[in-house]
Amino acid sequence: MDQTDNQLIAAALGGSLPAWDALVRRHERRVYNLGLRLLNNPDDAMDLVQDVFLGVYRNLYRFRGDSQFSTWLFRIVHNKAVDLIRRRQAGPEIEDWFEEGTPEPDNDLPGPLDSYLENEMNQRIGQFMSRLPPAQRLIVELKVFQALTFEEIAPLQDIPVNTAKTRFYTALKNLKAMIEAQT
Amino acid sequence: MSCPHTPEIIADHCDPDVSAEALQRHRVHLGTCKVCQQELLTLRGVPGELLRWQSISVPDWDRSGMIKSTIKRKTLPNRSHHWPAILQWLPLAASLVLAVAVMTQTRLSIGPQGWSLSFGVQSAGLSAEQLDEYLTAHANARQAETREWVEVALQTHGQTTADSIYQWMTYIEQQRALDVQRMDAGFEQLINRDFQTVDSVRQLASYVLYQEAP
Repeated sequence: MDQTDNQLIAAALGGSLPAWDALVRRHERRVYNLGLRLLNNPDDAMDLVQDVFLGVYRNLYRFRGDSQFSTWLFRIVHNKAVDLIRRRQAGPEIEDWFEEGTPEPDNDLPGPLDSYLENEMNQRIGQFMSRLPPAQRLIVELKVFQALTFEEIAPLQDIPVNTAKTRFYTALKNLKAMIEAQT
Repeated sequence: MSCPHTPEIIADHCDPDVSAEALQRHRVHLGTCKVCQQELLTLRGVPGELLRWQSISVPDWDRSGMIKSTIKRKTLPNRSHHWPAILQWLPLAASLVLAVAVMTQTRLSIGPQGWSLSFGVQSAGLSAEQLDEYLTAHANARQAETREWVEVALQTHGQTTADSIYQWMTYIEQQRALDVQRMDAGFEQLINRDFQTVDSVRQLASYVLYQEAP
């Protein structure tokens, strides 16, 4: 039977390496994919994963179990991602995204090339995201991929709920324009 | 043309936790606002497009490495090598020995009878016997020196009369006596200076005591 996050945390705090390993494996995929979408670079996404779990390990003793571990983890993920985005400043500004073309998938062949197409899809989405301003990129990530409510997003970004909604709307409009420009 | 309600309607449309009351309000608004209807139709598919993202597995990495390095840093350094451990205390030990030697005013004397170690402050002044011995030795040395000069002078100036030799000897004796007097005065001055120093310290102590008195 799988151990809960809290059980793994207790064991990890007691020095159990297997427990820590299991806890990381359980949550790393979500963090990695978030990093890929926000940073649009596998190396940076891996840096984010390592930064996040190092931060988690150092602060694990502070986790009291009042909220879900994934919620607590996501606060760390969010802060680290914001730091990394600021440092990397990945992608060109929103004004010039029209100038760059992204290759379309060559065809719709099923079968062995599906993985190629999936990869292409991810690249395309990653490029769309990277062309958004960082603030809009984060809102889309939190809302669409992490399924947070605007009441949860607003305090994370330290903005009013209505600002979060307006920012999200603007981001969707920008993304729609990018999608249409690709088709 | 735009509508101030559009951002909220689009955002709430993507929020499954939106309240029933807000949804009803939006429905009423959408019934009359063409702008919001058009925006909703245009943008409703965008989140779905993004959700075509295919989750990717994390490349293998050393998940426990950070713990191991943290644990390693927290432990004490390995002390299996005894010699370097001793060596690292040597400067401290040498400093302590020097400090003790300075504090106790240790003296190492090496003479013909061997070496000796002494501690504490030695008497700064000379005793009267030491002074007499010193003066006598000095006078003898000067006498011998004078005798040498005379012999040399006699050899050089053999024609010199006995009177002039006597006057010369008298002059030299006077000079010697004057030297001894000067030396005596110098020693007295030295002793007086020591006394003045002690007296100054005593005056300072009295002043401090006076200042501290209520």
